[in-house]
Amino acid sequence: MGSRASSLLREEDIEEIKKETGFSHSQITRLYSRFHSLDKGENGALSREDFQRIPELAINPLGDRIINAFFPEGEDQVNFRGFMRTLAHFRPVEDNEKNKDPDAGEPLNSRSNKLLFAFRLYDLDRDDKISRDELLQVLRMMVGVNISDEQLGSIADRTIQEADTNGDMCISFSEFIKVLEKVDVEQKMSIRFLH
Amino acid sequence: MESEDAEDDEDKEDEAPRNKRAANRRKAGKKAKDTEDESEGDSDSKTDSEEEESMSEGELARLTEEVEEKKKLIANIRTKPWRMRRRLTVLKESQEFVDKFEGALGGKGKGRAWFAYKMMMKKKWIKFQKDFENFRTSCIPWDRKIKEVESHFGSSVASYFIFLRWMYGLNLVLFSLMFGLVVIPEVLMGLPYGSIPRKTVPRAEQPTAMDYSVLMDFNVRIGIFGYSLMVVIRTMAKNQDVGGGDDADNEFTFSWKMFTSWDYLIGNPETADNKYASVTTSFKESIVDEQENQKDENIHLRRFLRVLANFMITCILGGSGYLIFFAVSRSQEFANRDDIGWYEKNEVEIIMSLLGLVCPPLFETIAELEEYHPRIALKWQLGRIFALFLGNLYTFLFALFDEVNNKLEEEVHIKNNSVWFLKEYLANFSMYNNDSEATAPPINPADAIRGPCWETSVGLEFVKLTVSDIQVTYLTILIGDFLRAFIVRFLNYCWCWDLEAGFPSYGEFDISGNVLGLVFNQGMIWMGAFYAPGLVGINVLRLLSSMYYQCWAVMCCNVPHERVFKASKSNNFYMGLLLLILFLSLLPVVYTIMSLPPSFDCGPFSGKAKMFDVVMETIDLDLPAFIGTLFGYVANPGLIIPGVLLMVLAIYYLNSVGEAYKNATLELKKKMQMARDEEKNRRNNKKSTNQQQQDLEDLLPKRSLAPPPPPENNTEKKEEKGGRGTRVKPGAAGGVNMQKDVSLASANPNARGPVTREPAPRGPGALPGNPQERGEKGRGRGAPRQ
Repeated sequence: MGSRASSLLREEDIEEIKKETGFSHSQITRLYSRFHSLDKGENGALSREDFQRIPELAINPLGDRIINAFFPEGEDQVNFRGFMRTLAHFRPVEDNEKNKDPDAGEPLNSRSNKLLFAFRLYDLDRDDKISRDELLQVLRMMVGVNISDEQLGSIADRTIQEADTNGDMCISFSEFIKVLEKVDVEQKMSIRFLH
Repeated sequence: MESEDAEDDEDKEDEAPRNKRAANRRKAGKKAKDTEDESEGDSDSKTDSEEEESMSEGELARLTEEVEEKKKLIANIRTKPWRMRRRLTVLKESQEFVDKFEGALGGKGKGRAWFAYKMMMKKKWIKFQKDFENFRTSCIPWDRKIKEVESHFGSSVASYFIFLRWMYGLNLVLFSLMFGLVVIPEVLMGLPYGSIPRKTVPRAEQPTAMDYSVLMDFNVRIGIFGYSLMVVIRTMAKNQDVGGGDDADNEFTFSWKMFTSWDYLIGNPETADNKYASVTTSFKESIVDEQENQKDENIHLRRFLRVLANFMITCILGGSGYLIFFAVSRSQEFANRDDIGWYEKNEVEIIMSLLGLVCPPLFETIAELEEYHPRIALKWQLGRIFALFLGNLYTFLFALFDEVNNKLEEEVHIKNNSVWFLKEYLANFSMYNNDSEATAPPINPADAIRGPCWETSVGLEFVKLTVSDIQVTYLTILIGDFLRAFIVRFLNYCWCWDLEAGFPSYGEFDISGNVLGLVFNQGMIWMGAFYAPGLVGINVLRLLSSMYYQCWAVMCCNVPHERVFKASKSNNFYMGLLLLILFLSLLPVVYTIMSLPPSFDCGPFSGKAKMFDVVMETIDLDLPAFIGTLFGYVANPGLIIPGVLLMVLAIYYLNSVGEAYKNATLELKKKMQMARDEEKNRRNNKKSTNQQQQDLEDLLPKRSLAPPPPPENNTEKKEEKGGRGTRVKPGAAGGVNMQKDVSLASANPNARGPVTREPAPRGPGALPGNPQERGEKGRGRGAPRQ
């Protein structure tokens, strides 16, 4: 299923993607043409270089990490299914999810899944905790050399102080959720996909 | 359909298959829709596709199923084992539903075309609204410029420019009001009556048409004040809402800055650089805030220093007031002489501008004794400069009033002369022609003896003041900032000490001085607009050029403040100042309207005892009689006093309602805080600190809102927190001493380094601050980008 590099999109594929991600039919076709236009190598899958051609990702300090979020563990190519699965995190949250089948589990674009996506951007070693070093790396990327290392260390310490509730000097996912409790994540982490 | 129906159980078996059918139909998606369309037997596939575009597919599919079901229900209603009444109601509902929506789906219903049309128009309207909003937002001028300034200099400097832009908008509206309603009619109607001579209205006649235009003139001038008032108050109220909402975000400041500060929509490398700069600045702002919160010092010394500083400043203010007074009395002497040069003519204005230039830096140096938080120091500075300008302005006004009184006396004198002249002429005329009829002397009105027009001279004075103010401001920026930066930059190569780090260095943008200059300028405009309508136009031009000029100067010659601090969240302080100035500038104008007689020979109000008489006369003469009596009743004190009382009561009521809302919000916040504390305690220790809450929770079923706590492997910390009493700030986890390991007071490495160079152009693939050893996990940058 994952390695079939078909350049045409078939109905069953569309149906499956629709069930998994919740996008509508026209959205899927539109995104497929975007996928196709990014895929310069014409092999039905995107590599990291294809993503880096997008200017907004290229100048983003977290750009590399976002790109990495598309690729499953250890792989270098992502096919259309994987592409859609990641994009599904950014679908706007609707109030009346009519397709909600209680067996299917939480939809990919729920608030908690969006936050998990963001959390994984910071948690590089996938141990479900953001450690002080990981915070320092992010800070370094965001402010560059304009602030001294010592101050950056203090900022990282302060951030952990603010967020950490169980005292392990790391930010776990639940603490992360609490930090961003008042932030309107559903609106900020959503892209209005054209129909 | 999924709701519990309290009526019959028999429905459930109907509902279940219905649900299943609906679910199947939804899952089948497109196929179902196709079959539906075919089964409708309709040949208007085109309208279907149109509607498909205008309605989302989900809606369409859903509606289709529902219509189908309702139809089936109607067909089978006789077979249902229900009571009669229920059957009738369901039948009626279903028929209505089918009638209404069948049209949408291309059935043979009558409502089809109309419904499709309605939906299409609605969608078009929504799209139009969205486009219009986009257009309106894109029309806001100077947005990019201001963002650039903001990312380099911080939000407080940018707030000045935003204020400037707002003022520009206000002046533009006033100008168009004035222009459209006064100048144009006058130009149009003026010519038959002679626009210049019209200003010297012949004493005998007043054509009725002119009455309305004069009234309109008067109304527009009053309307300018009213409009300004309304706009300022409305902006204040709006800012109040915005400002009061996000008070509680001092809990996670650093976390939020860390996780949410990047703007993911930026695609332009230059903008990205600006964003970097602004992220850095915002971190620095937070650091400064933290530092301020942790300082504690000798209270008594501080108080003494503050009292001393205030005393010195009061002395300076008194000195400047006296200086202006002195200059004005000197100018009155000058007016009696004839050999006055340019300096003497403009002496008062020059002195006022110079005072406005010299005193604020003086205040700032004195204010360093006080050691306030920068934001509070800014407010004090603004207040003091406000007092300075106010004193200056009112002294100036008093001087003007003196002049006006002089002119009025002179006018009486001339009036007597002219009357005497006229009588003489008539006497001669009748003597020569034996004609006792009096006709107006054939003198060109422009040649007639005209008395001094005090309104014109007042208007002139204001114009002179404004112009000199503009000149002084521009010159200051040129010399104070540009020349200084120039010298520091280029003389630095051959100077003994480091000019950039040492004495003159580059200037910082003086927010308080500029804001107050703007506010007072507006005050002068308001005062002068009544007498010199073109003043508003001059001001519009001035604000426009000032925007570009100052933006350029700031980016080119200034450096960011050494201590970067956030402007206060709401702009209400500036608005409050503006409101105050508006009132204060209204007072003199209203006084003159009510009490001073307009000059006899010029201006649109001439010939009346007071300007206000225009309104009175119009009411008496031109409007129907009953309105006159109505006004007479309304103006009765017996009616006015209760009216005033009612308004006072309304103000009091609204005030208390506002207070109640604020209290309610506070209560809710406290509740949320308590709930959060409870959660934390429960998760950590399973024992509540609040006994009532604990009792309540024991009674309620077990409902945990949070995910199960992570496995605890450090029990000591847990117990320590369990014993903690009441409100623990969630941020201060574990009671870590804030002063201990958070040493944000360490010096910034680029302490005095001004931003002298552009951010270095980035090489391909290298973002600033990216550590080069990023080979972890094979995520290095692969092939170079095209």
